[in-house]
Amino acid sequence: MARKMLIKALPSSWDVDITQAGNGEEALAAYRAGKADVMFLDLTMPVMDGFQVLEALQKEGLNSFVIVVSADIQPIAQERVKKLGAIAFIKKPVASDAIESVLKQYGVAL
Amino acid sequence: MSVRPLTEDQRDAMQEITNIAMGQAGSLLATLLGVFVNLSVPRINVLALSDVADAIGSMVGRNIEITAVRQSFHGYLRGEAIVIYGRDGCKELGDLMGYDEVLDRTDEIELLLDVSNILVGACLGGIIDQIKGITEAHGAGELSFSAPSLMAENVPAEVLINPDKLTWTHALLMEVNFTLEGRNFISHLCMLMPGGSIEKMRNILDEFVASF
Repeated sequence: MARKMLIKALPSSWDVDITQAGNGEEALAAYRAGKADVMFLDLTMPVMDGFQVLEALQKEGLNSFVIVVSADIQPIAQERVKKLGAIAFIKKPVASDAIESVLKQYGVAL
Repeated sequence: MSVRPLTEDQRDAMQEITNIAMGQAGSLLATLLGVFVNLSVPRINVLALSDVADAIGSMVGRNIEITAVRQSFHGYLRGEAIVIYGRDGCKELGDLMGYDEVLDRTDEIELLLDVSNILVGACLGGIIDQIKGITEAHGAGELSFSAPSLMAENVPAEVLINPDKLTWTHALLMEVNFTLEGRNFISHLCMLMPGGSIEKMRNILDEFVASF
């Protein structure tokens, strides 16, 4: 459901293939397999949470472009994910223009 | 009586709605206490009433004594919200709130009632907000909440719900928990809804899923 809600909020003009992951471990596997130029990452997940995914990406030196999308709106959570290399934090429920403005800010062609 | 579980879509939607609501509650708690709050993945289940006590016992842990605060809600949905604290929970709260002296039991309970009220209000309020578009379209009015009251003190979690005292046959049980980083504190927020409300919730969730 979280993924469905996010996908609906992506800019319709954005020409991309989407790979979905059910938890952090699956997301990391997809990233390692080169399936993601941009990753939208939740924090509260089973098996491996979003903080752990960011740590793993950082440790493996993967050149990541991760946008955290989370219901965890504590200021400390936002600080931490930025420190761990996330480029942006978008709070849930996600608004389409919040995503669009982050993508535009980083020069993503929409 | 057999219990019809939620469909996968319904459960998934309820879990995400609860996750978002919980984030708001967790953020308030973090601000109040000045510590980082770890959020859990919400657990959602429809159970026979006779199994609810046991389910809560297995979530909270057996052989530990808990203190619980309850708040009921009614309107187009009705049910109970219960906040459960372990033995050290009250002491940790007092400590984090910056009370120098050891709290007497009356103060401790007052603090538990206040914190519970914040968690329940934010969590339930957050759920209601997200389904408002759907419920309002069906002409459903507001929900009202009772004041928080002490439900049990220092009892094992598995005896918290006495099925003989409720006329429900089954319940939708939603559980989230908040732990504080670097502290020995955990509180569980359980929401329980009876049969009629479960059926209404199923319809709401179906519409919610269909809107994405």
